[in-house]
Amino acid sequence: MKKVLEINNLTKKFGGLTAVDNLTFHIWENQIYGLIGPNGAGKTTVFNMITAVYAPTSGEIIFDGDNLANKSSYEIARAGITRTFQNIRLFKEMTVYENVHTACHLNTDYNIWDSLIHNKNYKSGEKLIRQQVNELLERMGLYERRDEVAMNLPYGDQRRLEIARAVALQPKLLLLDEPAAGMNPDETNELVKTIRSIREDFKLSVLLIEHHMDLVMNICDQIVVINFGKEIAKGTAGEVQNHPEVIEAYLGKREEELLHVDA
Amino acid sequence: MDQFLQQLINGVSIGSIYALMAVGYSLVYSIMNFSNFAHGGVIMLSAYMGYFAIVLLKVSFGGALLLATLGATLIAVLIERIAYRPLRKRSAPTLYFIISAMGMSILLENLVIATIGPQFKTYPIIFAESTIQLGNLSISKMDIFMLIIAAVALVGLVFFLNKTRTGIAVRAATYNARASQLMGVNVDRIVSIVFALGGALAGIAGVFFGIRYTVYAQAGIITNKAFVAAVFGGLGSLPGAIVGSILLGIIETFVAAWRSQLRDLTTFAILIAVLVFKPTGLMGKNTEDKA
Amino acid sequence: MEYYLQVLTLAGINLMVVLGLGLLTGFTGLFSFGHAGFMCIGAYTSAILTVTLKVPFVVALIASGLVAGAISLLLGRLTLKLKGDYFLIATLGFGESVRLIFDNIEPLGGARGFSGIEKNSNFISVWLVCIIGIFFLIRLMNSRYGRNFKAIREEELASATIGIDVFKTKLLSLFISAIYAGIGGSLYAHYMTFIKPTNFQLIKSTEFTIMAIIGGLGSITGSVIGALLLTVLPELLRFVADWRMVIYGAAVVILIIVRPKGIAGGKEFKDFFFIVWIRRLFNKIFTKEDPGNGGKL
Repeated sequence: MKKVLEINNLTKKFGGLTAVDNLTFHIWENQIYGLIGPNGAGKTTVFNMITAVYAPTSGEIIFDGDNLANKSSYEIARAGITRTFQNIRLFKEMTVYENVHTACHLNTDYNIWDSLIHNKNYKSGEKLIRQQVNELLERMGLYERRDEVAMNLPYGDQRRLEIARAVALQPKLLLLDEPAAGMNPDETNELVKTIRSIREDFKLSVLLIEHHMDLVMNICDQIVVINFGKEIAKGTAGEVQNHPEVIEAYLGKREEELLHVDA
Repeated sequence: MDQFLQQLINGVSIGSIYALMAVGYSLVYSIMNFSNFAHGGVIMLSAYMGYFAIVLLKVSFGGALLLATLGATLIAVLIERIAYRPLRKRSAPTLYFIISAMGMSILLENLVIATIGPQFKTYPIIFAESTIQLGNLSISKMDIFMLIIAAVALVGLVFFLNKTRTGIAVRAATYNARASQLMGVNVDRIVSIVFALGGALAGIAGVFFGIRYTVYAQAGIITNKAFVAAVFGGLGSLPGAIVGSILLGIIETFVAAWRSQLRDLTTFAILIAVLVFKPTGLMGKNTEDKA
Repeated sequence: MEYYLQVLTLAGINLMVVLGLGLLTGFTGLFSFGHAGFMCIGAYTSAILTVTLKVPFVVALIASGLVAGAISLLLGRLTLKLKGDYFLIATLGFGESVRLIFDNIEPLGGARGFSGIEKNSNFISVWLVCIIGIFFLIRLMNSRYGRNFKAIREEELASATIGIDVFKTKLLSLFISAIYAGIGGSLYAHYMTFIKPTNFQLIKSTEFTIMAIIGGLGSITGSVIGALLLTVLPELLRFVADWRMVIYGAAVVILIIVRPKGIAGGKEFKDFFFIVWIRRLFNKIFTKEDPGNGGKL
């Protein structure tokens, strides 16, 4: 089994504030990895460094053997890491179909001239993409709503659409930033199924930021818990749940939520 | 050396007029985050108002200056009410404000042409003895007067922004309009005040501009100089606007002394240089977006 | 009749520039107040090529577009990484700089202008070019390039995370928009037969932007409507003389407040429900394929 992502001694400082402090964890092929911690612990900052929205202050990020330093966001996406956002960033005024359709742009290679004269390259490329979009929408249960404008979708569907869009690039690693935010228990269960089936069908790894403990404990193979940017625990769901520092960090949350979740 | 100093004084003098315009422009930018292209229209109208005050109403120079400034203040506040407030209420994107400003500027310029006519107007001579001799240098009395008035106006503005309650509210609003609204600040009133301040400064600048050059409907184009100066100094920074303006005035004057037809091109060359090398200008602030 | 043709020809010339601007602003979300600068470059390029170098008109036409495009690449390299507002200011500076530079080039007539250009543009040639321009633009927008432009307009950050090279894509959009404007400039030069730098001032750039907005951003139909309407209407209002531009200015302010989405409101001609109905019917009868979405542009 190969390592897909290596986070080694990753640190990010914003002026005097240390948002991420010497963080280290590794993700393997086909693993679902959880990144959890109280609000403001630095989780989204980690995502932002992986996708080159921010540059790390120090430390390294190695994906599939390649160091990601000095790569820009789009290069990283093309290399095989895609993501969703905490505050959904769909192409709001486009339809469901168009959102995924746009994301498939790398699955074909016709050029501008081809598009202007509608030659075979263009036609077969577009046909291929259309097939892919329809398949993906079916699989994510969004086909019925394909002509609806993205911002008019119910919240849960919007999140699913964002995941669909991210998966359209056939990534090796999918970063999900609080995908269950605002979902009720039923929707959360659906999401668990979706993430599991994506992992199966697309053979990818997932790095998941989440607050819904049942989702995390249920679905993650390994978890790293951070607080104030620093790691406070790492291991399986069982190991992490009973870690005293983790319990303390979540002090204020009802103990039942944290401790008595069946993995 | 004398030539050099003479041009330097000239440059500072022009720069002080630009400073009045640029500060007003920068104020509006910092609170509403858009380039008010109608600013030039206010400057132009002020030049006309000052002219008519002297020629028709037979008021003294000081009186004309006052009237024009008041008029400009009023017009600026009105423009905000009519052309920008409806957009602000709807959180419209910046482009809409710019279009509205452009439309306003076209309207004002052509309103003057349609009513008063396209002929240029010249201010009558104000000071009988027009220059003062300092050794080999001659400084025009008007230039000194303008410099003093400009300095007083700007100092007054700084005082207002730093020492008065309203002024502090204005500054708070330029940092974060939403938050200051939650603190009980009436943003509508603040915006009106900001436009009033900008308008007043534009009023003074307009009269000075009219005296130094001539009065004509297309004078609004001078707003280009104002915003280049503001960008040069750092958009959103008031001291920057002043420094940028003076520097612009000086550089322009020296270039014009060398090759007069390159004067306006220099303005834009400076703009492009700033944008390419240091977009935040001489004294502007850097902001990073949070994802 | 002659007069109406003249006005419509001018509308066509304006349309070429507005189509380009519409691509940059309406579809990619970048605002420019400097496209008169590209038009100016195109006009002078065409003038020089045909008058001095005796190049045939069609070649000059295409060359004008390409030269304008090349210059836009330089501008883009320098300014596209700037944040929104600054890019706008940069384009404004660019537009004014271009015409001021031409003001100072004596061999080209300087401020007095360049005359003696052959009249190769007429109603037919201009609108032929426009139709070709529209045709290519439609095809472009229906490709992955077009979709990427729109993605950047919607969500620049998210676009990068789906592998879109934002800088290069913006540059491409600017390049194509400049080509259109350059070709518009060539058509203009060969219609007026005389050009001078003051034909390409800031006010001209502003007028093009206003045409794009009032017609409706994000829609090729909108660009056509905008260019036609705002070339024809001011002509119809000639009888009010000086008040014409007062009305124009007031109309702009009112329209941006009352109907900022413009006349086409982001929709295309083929989106009007009547046309959609016909196309759905056609598809059902003749093809089994599901286009996936009413074929929305």
